[in-house]
Amino acid sequence: MLYFDNAATTYPKPFEVRKAVNSSFVYYGANPGRSGHSLAMDTAREVFKCREKAAKLFGCGFPENVIFTKNCTEAINLVIMSIVPGGHCVISDLEHNSVLRPLYDLKTRGEADFSVAKVAEGDTDSTLMSFKNAIKKNTKLIAVTGASNVFGIKTPVRELAALAHEHGAFFMLDAAQTAGTEKYNMEKDNIDFICAPGHKGLLGPMGTGILVAKNPELLRPILFGGTGTYSLEAKQPDTIPEGLESGTINVPGICGLSAGISRVMREGEEKIAEREMKIAQFIYSELAKMKNVTLFTKYPRPKTHAPVISFVIGDLTGEKTAELLSKRGVATRGGFHCAALAHKKFATETRGTCRISVGPMNTFADAAKLVKIIYSVSENIN
Amino acid sequence: MKEYFYFFSSITTAMRGEAVLKNNGYRAFVFRDGTINTHGCGYIIKVKGEEEKITTLLQKAGVRFSEVREV
Repeated sequence: MLYFDNAATTYPKPFEVRKAVNSSFVYYGANPGRSGHSLAMDTAREVFKCREKAAKLFGCGFPENVIFTKNCTEAINLVIMSIVPGGHCVISDLEHNSVLRPLYDLKTRGEADFSVAKVAEGDTDSTLMSFKNAIKKNTKLIAVTGASNVFGIKTPVRELAALAHEHGAFFMLDAAQTAGTEKYNMEKDNIDFICAPGHKGLLGPMGTGILVAKNPELLRPILFGGTGTYSLEAKQPDTIPEGLESGTINVPGICGLSAGISRVMREGEEKIAEREMKIAQFIYSELAKMKNVTLFTKYPRPKTHAPVISFVIGDLTGEKTAELLSKRGVATRGGFHCAALAHKKFATETRGTCRISVGPMNTFADAAKLVKIIYSVSENIN
Repeated sequence: MKEYFYFFSSITTAMRGEAVLKNNGYRAFVFRDGTINTHGCGYIIKVKGEEEKITTLLQKAGVRFSEVREV
C-alpha cells in the first residue's frame, strides 16, 4: 500500500517504536503509580522518562508539565474546558472539530462564547489583524492549529501567542499536524499549552496524546477517578500531573511514544520537515499539471505550509476520489476530515476533498507512483 | 550521616526529586510504603545527608514535597 494518510496517523511506525511497545508487555507490564513492587516502579520510571523527553522536546521545563492523554482531542478538551468557561475564545477558520465542538458545546449551554478569525494563507499581518478584531474584553484563550489538517496552511503561532498575551489571554496550540516537524519551545515561543497526538509526527502508537502546560495548575480534570494517591479521600487530588490522568494510563503506548520522541529528537524536526516538504512540493507540482485536478492552496513552502495537499478530480467528491485511489492501493482520506470550518472556508462543504498527507516514512519513489496513479484516475473519470 | 524520608503525593515529582538528588551526588531512591506514610498511599524518597542542604536543593529545583522525616 502507498500510504499518504499521515495526517490521520503516521504509518508504518519505526521499528524502535514497535519494539518498545512489544517489550513493554514483558518489562513494563505493571500499573505505574499504584503498587510499590519493583515491576510497578520500573514501569513508573519508564513513564517518567517519556515525560522528561516530551518536556525537553517542547522546551517546557519539568516532566510534571507533561500530561498524558489518550489523544490530541482529549488534550484540547482539557484546556478548553478548564480555561474558557465564563469567557470567550478566538479560534481560526481552519480548526479541527476537536477545537470547534467543545466550544460549540459550551456556547450552546450558555457557558462561553467564541469567535472565528480568518487565516490569510501566507499573510501573517492580515491573519493577526483578523484575530485582533475578534478579541473581546472577556477573551480568555486564543486556540489555533499549527497547520490545517485539510489544506496544510500554517498559522503564525508565535505572533498569535504574543497577541494573546498582549490582551491578557492564554494561548493554546493544537500541534496535531506540526508536532515532530516544527521546533517549538514553550518558554521562548510563549505558548501556554501545546496539545499533540502521540501517534502522528511523534511516531508513537494510536491511543497516545500529550498536553504540555506551562502552568498545569490552571487545568481542571475532565476525568475523575483513581490517581494512585489519597485513596481514602473522595475529593479528586490536585497533584500534577496525576490528578489530570485518572485511571490506568496507556503504558505500552507511552513506551512506544517515548521511542518515537527519541527518534524525532535524534533526526531533528527541521530535517524531517525538509524531507517531507520536498516530497509534498513534488506531488503538488505534478498535480498542478493535470488538467482534471483542482488544487486549493498555493505551492507549499516550509514557512507557510505543512506537507498536506487537498485536491479534487473533475466532478468527483473527495470520498469517491479516495475510494478510486484506495482500489489502486493508495491510502488517502476523502471527505470532510473532521474539519467543518476548513471546508466552509474553501467552499468544499458539498463535495469535500481528497487529502494527501506526507509522512516521515514516505519516499520520492512513493510520490512518483502516487502521482502516476492520480494521473491515471484523473484521465479516466469519464 | 542521618537518613531522611521525603514524602510526595505525585510519583512524577518524587522521581524528579530523585533525579535532582542523584545528579547532585546523593544516593536517593523512590519507593512506596503505606506503613511509613501516614497520609495514605504516596511516595517517599529515602536519602542520606544533611537535611538543610537536601531540602534547599529540592526547593531550588521546584520539587515540592509534603513532609520530611528523619528515618
